[in-house]
Amino acid sequence: MTHLGKIVITPRGVELNSQVYPTSQIGDALLTACYRSCHADYPKFFKMDPLCRLGFIASELLLQSQDEERFIPREDRAVVLASCNGCLHTDRHYASTIHAGDNYFPSPAVFVYTLPNIVTGEIAIRNKYLGESSMYIVEDGLTEEELVQRLAELTFQDPVTTSAIIGWVDYHDGDHYNAILYLIQK
Amino acid sequence: MEELIQQLKEQIIEVLNLEDVTPADIDNDAPLFGEGLGLDSIDALELIVMMEKEYGIKLKNPAEGKEIFKSINVMAQYVNEHRTK
Repeated sequence: MTHLGKIVITPRGVELNSQVYPTSQIGDALLTACYRSCHADYPKFFKMDPLCRLGFIASELLLQSQDEERFIPREDRAVVLASCNGCLHTDRHYASTIHAGDNYFPSPAVFVYTLPNIVTGEIAIRNKYLGESSMYIVEDGLTEEELVQRLAELTFQDPVTTSAIIGWVDYHDGDHYNAILYLIQK
Repeated sequence: MEELIQQLKEQIIEVLNLEDVTPADIDNDAPLFGEGLGLDSIDALELIVMMEKEYGIKLKNPAEGKEIFKSINVMAQYVNEHRTK
């Protein structure tokens, strides 16, 4: 397996292929600033929940060196991620909209993000990755190397898959989140 | 009516997270769906919730939204005639 790229995002900064990616913001604003700076022109970003925004920005920056080739539909590319908190942040937000009987206005736009695997779907839709799209909820105990190794082994058991975005994407709140994504070729 | 139109535009921008859109960008007669703002079916459901929450208008049949959300002008007219709050 060959590692073609790696990105790490925390509330305090971004590191792309071991280089600091310039950002002037921190926390949730960092993700919006990255969206602006990478010129993604994808207004749906603003409708996404924080977990999806994190995964989306990580994949955008990771794949930006792939030029237009990345948007060619292919069934041999997969998105396989893992998370500890999953969509818990959005679950809580949604629950708050239906908590009070006299103020019961469940939001459809929030509800659609109450599934943790939406983030892999958003990345797959954006980049026309038609292969496997999976999100595993795991305990936060594995090392980065162990996690990537396990996910890569699982992913490449499928003989069709030749490359994949693999890694970790986790959002607790604006001060506590991280993404570690690899672009891996079989 | 002008005040209601402006209010509706601001509410639509807020509830649909249309980050890069201003009220001035929304043409009063332009279709809200299919082109222009690029709204989708989830946005339509969100607008139905907004109608109930802000104006006390319950749309029992989502298909009604197709007519009501035709444009800002049509929407404002409907709200003006049916609002309970």
